[in-house]
Amino acid sequence: MIELDTGAPFDQHRAIVKPEWIDWNGHMNVGYYVVAFDQATDTLCQQFGCGFEYTRDKIGMTFVLEAHVTYDREVKEGDPLRITTQILDHDAKRLHYIHVMYHADEGYLAATNELMLMNIDYASRRSAPWPDFAMERIEKMTAAHARLPAPKQAGRLIGLPRKK
Amino acid sequence: MLDSLPYELPELVTRAPLDTHRSTVLPEWVDWNGHMNVAFYVTAFDQASGAFMRNMGLGRRYVDGKLGMTFVLETHVTYDREMKEGAPMRFATQLLERDAKKVHLFHEMFHAEQGYLAATNEAIVMNIDYASRRSAPWPVPVAERLETLWATHCLLPKPAKAGRVMGLSKKQ
Repeated sequence: MIELDTGAPFDQHRAIVKPEWIDWNGHMNVGYYVVAFDQATDTLCQQFGCGFEYTRDKIGMTFVLEAHVTYDREVKEGDPLRITTQILDHDAKRLHYIHVMYHADEGYLAATNELMLMNIDYASRRSAPWPDFAMERIEKMTAAHARLPAPKQAGRLIGLPRKK
Repeated sequence: MLDSLPYELPELVTRAPLDTHRSTVLPEWVDWNGHMNVAFYVTAFDQASGAFMRNMGLGRRYVDGKLGMTFVLETHVTYDREMKEGAPMRFATQLLERDAKKVHLFHEMFHAEQGYLAATNEAIVMNIDYASRRSAPWPVPVAERLETLWATHCLLPKPAKAGRVMGLSKKQ
């Protein structure tokens, strides 16, 4: 397994907005923000030994149970993206975290994605506790992230304000 | 604010919930777990939002005519059950709230043959002025349609999965 990165927040994932991610409004489509974020989840899961090989080798999978996205600013074709990740909480089977997407050159906030991820047993396709090797790393990263303040986009309730 | 739209609007469907949108899970939406990837649920729901907007009179002609656009500000998805390649989807859409510039929508995705709930999506969609790319009030005919739709949708109960805040319950 790769060396665990305990930098807070986790700051390894980079991407470029692909031409096929653009819609008729001339910007990255809402679905592809989630593609980009899901790839950041893959980068995160590699840290725990739960990346592509985890599924390829028929050990387990990770399923997203719930997701909340805030679309804060447009990004265009070819824009470089930087995605940071903060662990918010975890239990025996689940991981609660938030990704924050920035324009890598201009630095502005483009979007956030709060997620609930669950470990899945490969054979039964049902929830299962994190393997020991993953849990050990999840706990270390959670401890490293504990000093970070909770982002204001975490724990949001969707709605229209009553008074404008 | 636009007082009118320079094209014929489709006949308004006021059924509550709106149940016109259908779709199929495309091969390229499936990931290494052998099911529809999380992102493409959002794409599928975005197309359901598109169907809602077409019913309001805001389809492709609205953008191509350089009148305006609609942007999603925020979305919340619950992933309730897996969907495989080729699975037929049926959507039900409820208007939860509306104001001068925005709508708050709640979509449910069902497997169209087996009937089970696959996912839900809450979304805030805002009207955008084409030239300034900034928020703008709905065109007048759209605001009128929203009020007509609201008259039927406001009678629906609030969905149990709407208004969720994410977190781990300490007891399982």
